Amino acid sequence: MAAGQQWVLVEMVQAFYEAPAYHLILEGILILWIVRLLFFSKTYKPHETYKLTEKEKEDLIEEWQPEPLVPPVSKDHPSLNYDVVTGPPSHKIIINGKECTNFASFNFLGLLDSDRVKDKALASLKKYGVGTCGPRGFYGTFDVHLELESRLAKFMRTEEAIIYSYGFATIASAIPAYSKRGDIIFVDEAACFSIQKGLQASRSFIKYFKHNDMEDLERLLKEQELEDQKNPRKARVTRKFIVVEGLYINTADVCPLPELVRLKYKYKVRIFLEESMSFGVLGEHGKGVTEHFGVNIDDIDLISANMENAVASIGGFCCGRSFVIDHQRLSGQGYCFSASLPPMLAAAAIEALSIMEEDPEIFSVLKRRCSQVHQALQGIPGLKLVGVPFSPALHLQLERSSGCRSSDLQLLRSIVDHCLDRHVALTVARYLEKEERFMPPPSIRVVVTVEQTDEDIQKAVSCIREAASIFLR
Amino acid sequence: MNVGTAHSEVNPNTRVMNSRGMWLSYTLSIGLLHLILLSIPFVSVPVVWTLTNMIHNLCMYLLLHTVKGTPFQTPDQGKARLLTHWEQMDYGVQFTASRKFLTVTPIVLYLLTSFYTKYDRVHFVVNTVSLLTVLIPKLPQLHGVRIFGINKY
Repeated sequence: MAAGQQWVLVEMVQAFYEAPAYHLILEGILILWIVRLLFFSKTYKPHETYKLTEKEKEDLIEEWQPEPLVPPVSKDHPSLNYDVVTGPPSHKIIINGKECTNFASFNFLGLLDSDRVKDKALASLKKYGVGTCGPRGFYGTFDVHLELESRLAKFMRTEEAIIYSYGFATIASAIPAYSKRGDIIFVDEAACFSIQKGLQASRSFIKYFKHNDMEDLERLLKEQELEDQKNPRKARVTRKFIVVEGLYINTADVCPLPELVRLKYKYKVRIFLEESMSFGVLGEHGKGVTEHFGVNIDDIDLISANMENAVASIGGFCCGRSFVIDHQRLSGQGYCFSASLPPMLAAAAIEALSIMEEDPEIFSVLKRRCSQVHQALQGIPGLKLVGVPFSPALHLQLERSSGCRSSDLQLLRSIVDHCLDRHVALTVARYLEKEERFMPPPSIRVVVTVEQTDEDIQKAVSCIREAASIFLR
Repeated sequence: MNVGTAHSEVNPNTRVMNSRGMWLSYTLSIGLLHLILLSIPFVSVPVVWTLTNMIHNLCMYLLLHTVKGTPFQTPDQGKARLLTHWEQMDYGVQFTASRKFLTVTPIVLYLLTSFYTKYDRVHFVVNTVSLLTVLIPKLPQLHGVRIFGINKY
């Protein structure tokens, strides 16, 4: 046996001596390669950043001028002088000690002060306490959350809904959960700040189209289609989305949803609809802009809204098909890594939904009031009204801008102060000047609620007219 | 699977080859493959060695240089979506220990194979081509390079 094995080995060694030269040379090169790898190679990162010479480093250090940690800011900067509200921001709001009629808070359906909602919230407070002390995955899911999710899904007639504990974080978490690097998002220029933060977090390619301009959007989609045809393999792994708002908070008009759905099916993009201002406002039963236009809810891939406006609670929700919404339960950053919605706010939202379901008359009342206010605010000399007649949050912009944003803002602020002195609460629309992508022009935001009476509206309109005639000569 | 939470590693794919026992299991699995191929009757020893070399190199090419991205979602919004496992290893740092190990093993296997096939010409051609498909993508000059756009997206 041993002799047989030895015989094979001798044959092998003999073959080695008779091996062809090219083969042995190749093996020699490979062994040298191994030696080089093991002993003569250093780890380094490719595409290393440009290495600075010592002199360049010294120059840069010389030129650097330290900036103050807190930049100097003038004493009358608006963010340093804010109006203090004592008590709830209901129909009569107490600002700086003065009781005013509220034309500034987004309490469209008057549910903030509703006794039913308050009772349910108090009962929930007594049962659950105040906070949840945990995210949804870590003993923070209560039965009220599940109930609110199923009620919202049933209300919007979608398969599933998911609750976020902070309205701003809703769309800002939803967009990066689906859209990653290399994907393309077509978004309206007038998108609100939370959408912009979501877009920034998604690291995708953002293409802005002019506000409500479907031809511009179609042009962008056509360009993308041409590129896709040139490179079909890339197109197969690129996801495309359109992000629009139902009622835009910055311009108070509505997106052309049927047109968008037609473009969606023509160019194969997905629609994300942000309905913060239109949920509980538009449509016969308050179901939002889809009901307003009669569009099938299954055509919209994701509807996101915050419950901080009409529903008068805190937080936000997304609704859509189960396949879509379930993904956010693990990938929605605001869902997984924030404490869940306090149960009393969830109970308040459930009660608000019940009120909305039981009494769909309030939506037509709101619509009537909106058109009433829209009518009344027309033709104020010096101010132009921006917004559709059924939008509950309208903007009054200066007809002639002075060219400088801060002086425009001061002018508008003086109008607002004048109205405040006469017990009408209005607000100047505020933006983070350095952070917004497309700054909307300065404006006063007038909010319509169902609780305002005809006298309130007339008084407010006359105050604004008076202020405009005084300040806008 | 939301990955960056329990440990702060953004992309665990980068550390797989450095994990405990990975090198040993890799070597043992090559040995196991060889044993299984040796158990096939009527196949001679040189053919078995060439088969081991080829199957090892094929699997290495498919797993390290073809499959892209991660099987889980990473918190960096898909930075590694178009990168192969070799390119993801150690976040793209070249000549780390795992990379050197994975470059040396196919070469050692090739040397053994050429010894056991008695330097036959046909076996030489087959094994050398197979080795080249595995060695060339590992060069640092070919980091992120997709020839003729193959496997780009």
